[in-house]
Amino acid sequence: METIQEPFDLIRLSLSERVFVKLRGDRELTGILHAYDGHMNLIMSDVVETIMLVEGVDAVPPGPGATVKVATRKMDMLFVRGDGVILVSPPSRT
Amino acid sequence: MSFFGLQENNLEEERQRIRSGASRETEDVAVYTWGEESYDGLGDALQEGGDDFNDETFGSSGSVGKDFDFAGQASLLEPELAHHKSANPVLSSPGQPRADATPRPVEQRPDNRRAPQSLESIWDDRSPFSVLPRENGGNRLQASTSQFSPFPESPVLHQPNAGQGGARTLQEIEAEMRAAAQQSRGVSQRQQNALRLQQEEEQFLQEQAYQQRQQRLAFQREREIERELQLQALQRLQQQQAMQAQHQRTPPPRMLPVSQSPRFVDQRQMLLLQQQEEHQLRMQQELQEQLRMEELERQLQLERQLRAQQISHINQGPLNHRRQTSGPTIAELQFQALQRQQLHRRQRSQSPAYQDFNVAPQNIQLQQRLLEELAQVDYLREFQGATQAEQEALRAEAMRKIVEAEKMEDKRRKKAAKIAHMSRYNDLMTQSDKDFITRIQVSQLVTPDPYADDFYAQVYGAILRSRMGLQSQDERVLKFGTGGGISLGNTQKAATRRPNAMQRMEQQVERIVSNARRREEEKGLHSLHSLQGALGKTSGRSYKAAPRQLLQVDDNPSTSPTLAHANAHISKEDATSQPNEGAAKEAAKLSRETLGNTGNVVRKDPLTHRQVLTALEAMYDLVLKVEHLRREQPPPEEEEASQQWQKEYDDLVELLWEGLKVMVPLETSNPHPFVSLLSPSKGKKLLPRLTRHIGSSRMLTLMTLLVACFTQLDVVKQAPLLDSLDESDERTEADRQTQAFLGSVLQSILPIVANLELHVVTALLGLLIDRSQDIAAVAKTKPGLALLTLFLSRVEVIKQGWGQGVEPVDLMAAGASLEQWQAVFDQFFVLLTPHLLALFPSSRIVLQDPHAPSAALAIDIMDQPVWQFLAALALQAVPEQHQVLVTSLRDKVLENVLSANKGWVADEDERRTKLANVNLFLHALGLDSSQIAL
Repeated sequence: METIQEPFDLIRLSLSERVFVKLRGDRELTGILHAYDGHMNLIMSDVVETIMLVEGVDAVPPGPGATVKVATRKMDMLFVRGDGVILVSPPSRT
Repeated sequence: MSFFGLQENNLEEERQRIRSGASRETEDVAVYTWGEESYDGLGDALQEGGDDFNDETFGSSGSVGKDFDFAGQASLLEPELAHHKSANPVLSSPGQPRADATPRPVEQRPDNRRAPQSLESIWDDRSPFSVLPRENGGNRLQASTSQFSPFPESPVLHQPNAGQGGARTLQEIEAEMRAAAQQSRGVSQRQQNALRLQQEEEQFLQEQAYQQRQQRLAFQREREIERELQLQALQRLQQQQAMQAQHQRTPPPRMLPVSQSPRFVDQRQMLLLQQQEEHQLRMQQELQEQLRMEELERQLQLERQLRAQQISHINQGPLNHRRQTSGPTIAELQFQALQRQQLHRRQRSQSPAYQDFNVAPQNIQLQQRLLEELAQVDYLREFQGATQAEQEALRAEAMRKIVEAEKMEDKRRKKAAKIAHMSRYNDLMTQSDKDFITRIQVSQLVTPDPYADDFYAQVYGAILRSRMGLQSQDERVLKFGTGGGISLGNTQKAATRRPNAMQRMEQQVERIVSNARRREEEKGLHSLHSLQGALGKTSGRSYKAAPRQLLQVDDNPSTSPTLAHANAHISKEDATSQPNEGAAKEAAKLSRETLGNTGNVVRKDPLTHRQVLTALEAMYDLVLKVEHLRREQPPPEEEEASQQWQKEYDDLVELLWEGLKVMVPLETSNPHPFVSLLSPSKGKKLLPRLTRHIGSSRMLTLMTLLVACFTQLDVVKQAPLLDSLDESDERTEADRQTQAFLGSVLQSILPIVANLELHVVTALLGLLIDRSQDIAAVAKTKPGLALLTLFLSRVEVIKQGWGQGVEPVDLMAAGASLEQWQAVFDQFFVLLTPHLLALFPSSRIVLQDPHAPSAALAIDIMDQPVWQFLAALALQAVPEQHQVLVTSLRDKVLENVLSANKGWVADEDERRTKLANVNLFLHALGLDSSQIAL
């Protein structure tokens, strides 16, 4: 597509769309992207944050011993600082 | 010249004389050795010219005996004096008692006899500059006597002019004595004075005077030490002022060490000034002290000059070794010590401890002063017979004052220390540095299109202004190059303050803007190049990174497309091969379509989601451009510019229209590209922004297309999802889209519908019925219901207008239109009748028994549009149709009224909503819920 000149143009396509954002610290977000900038700071609404919590990570090596808990929370509006963003993608469509 | 031959004060003159020619005289003359054993007496026979009347002038001299010289020192003078006779006839005159009358001391003779050679050599002075023979008696006396003197040398009389009080100023003596006081521990030294003066009584008197003076001096010294501190403060101030002046002359402040930055000095100076103010009384004393210091210095300079002369004399003579024992004078030592001390203090003042060092004594002084005040007050009170309590109160107050003062002092000190700490970094940057940073900051703020960059704030401001009833004539958009600068405020103030700076800033801003524009253009031109190396450079070409292509396979897709595709490992090839494939597919499809289809419509795949998004972004760009252009519409007076602008604007609108893909044939794809564009919420939200630019005829076309493709809309397709109260992502999304559709798309076509003619509405309703296989299904959706309600209410409005004769009515045409409409409406009614109850969300949604009380209310609210629609339907319906409506909806109406009246509701809100809903419909029939008998 000729209009896409840089990676950010791909993110632009997802404006006001629901996106999936992977963050550092085992966090994931899904929400509607409203704005972004060159630092990948994002403004999102209707956000569901999913946090992976691995318990007993100090004592037991990852594997059967460690249990993974998933915590979720919802936010109406969220500002995401760009330095934590690993990945922004449109949600998988069927 | 001293008349008595005491030449010590005329050394300079004599030297001059010798230089100017007398020296030759001296050289030519033989050296006479009167008074020595080897003297042959020939000198007595010497005949000199001009001596004839000496006796008449001075009186007859006769022979001068040596019997008065008890100490025998006069013999030492003799050779010198004799020598002087030749050089200085006046001195050798018979009137000079000491020289002429000196008897030869007996005890000296063996000395002289023992070493005649050495004496000879001592006085054998051939240098014209040697003034040894003219050395003053006092000094020589001292030098020689020091060998056998039982007393230690007096420091005072080391000076060449000692014992000649008349020749010295009082201040000199004072300084001398102060110097002596410094060494007062050696008491016996004083006695040496007496020996010098050779008068015991005088010596005694002087001694007494000395003791008195020394006592005074000791007292003075103590005060001096105290004052010295202040004097040093003053000197430091002067020093710093000098330093500051120096700094002002040296241009870049950041080149200086941090601690010496001018402001730092300023600050320290401020501190000093404060201290000075507090001690202004003492300042006078300080000044006096300084004067004294200067005097002392001057005197010492004098002394040094003399000493330098002496040393130059001595160095050429054999007495050198003797003289050296005297060393520097005490006064000099004192002065040096003082200087060292000051230096030391100054060095300390540069250290961080400087603050405390200075403040502490000040504090003490402050306290002392306060205590003095207190004491004074106490004293006065006692005089007046004040009570003890009053005194106590006074004391307490004084104490409080002291504490307060201490606190203030402490605070001030802390503040000063803080400022000093912070001021370390003062003036690190030059003005150009600051300008540079300002430029960077400004360049971040500057934009070629301030309105677009500040869009939301501008729009918000416009809304606020319109809400407050203000006119938008005051353009709040910042414009450059008009002398306005970048500030919104009063620019006049800034302009008067720094007019040049503002102009410069403006120029800079203009430059920055043009640079930014150019960069933008370049970016467009070399978009690919601009990305190159963005992620860092690759370290040369390696086989791992890009393996050599071993197989050379022809990647023409016609021969073997799969293989070619598999081989296409370079993204560029990948990119080019895909359109080829697509084109092939297209061609194949084209043939298929042409075979199967009657029209020449090219069937295409519906737009992919990504294509839609891309197209929408392009559309938004266009919309922004058009909006920007609209804001910059030139006034109609400028014809040429207006034409140019109009052309530009029309071109952009044309692009927009094409982008909407409304004119693409209906059958091209399902969903139609236009419908696809409306599927994302941003597509829906785009429409209201377009409607002002697109003409109403085009909007009608757009609406026709929308009606024709209504069932293709995502909001219609997804509508069943809303018939549930379960929270799910899909439902949330569908709800969001529906709201966006109702709020944006329907709102934007509302003004079009409001102006439709009856026959057009008829046609549109017919089209909707025709295009949608199941009109009831459309009516079950919120958007569909809203659209139908729109049509029905428009027809009602037209009918009312006709009835009231507001609009001129062509009866024939109106009658035809009405007939047409009634036919279509009848068809619609028939189609809808079986589904009337199902139109209600409350009928479709099955509530689980334990449901939240709010759920029922929510459903009632969802029912509201349906009741509205039914009311609009009832208005259009003929009486037979009313019967059908009432029969169909009887249960629903009764249910609502019953539950409302019997109190089967959760709260008042629900009851009112139910009744209001029912009444909406019943009123259209001319009934009311209260008429219903239960």
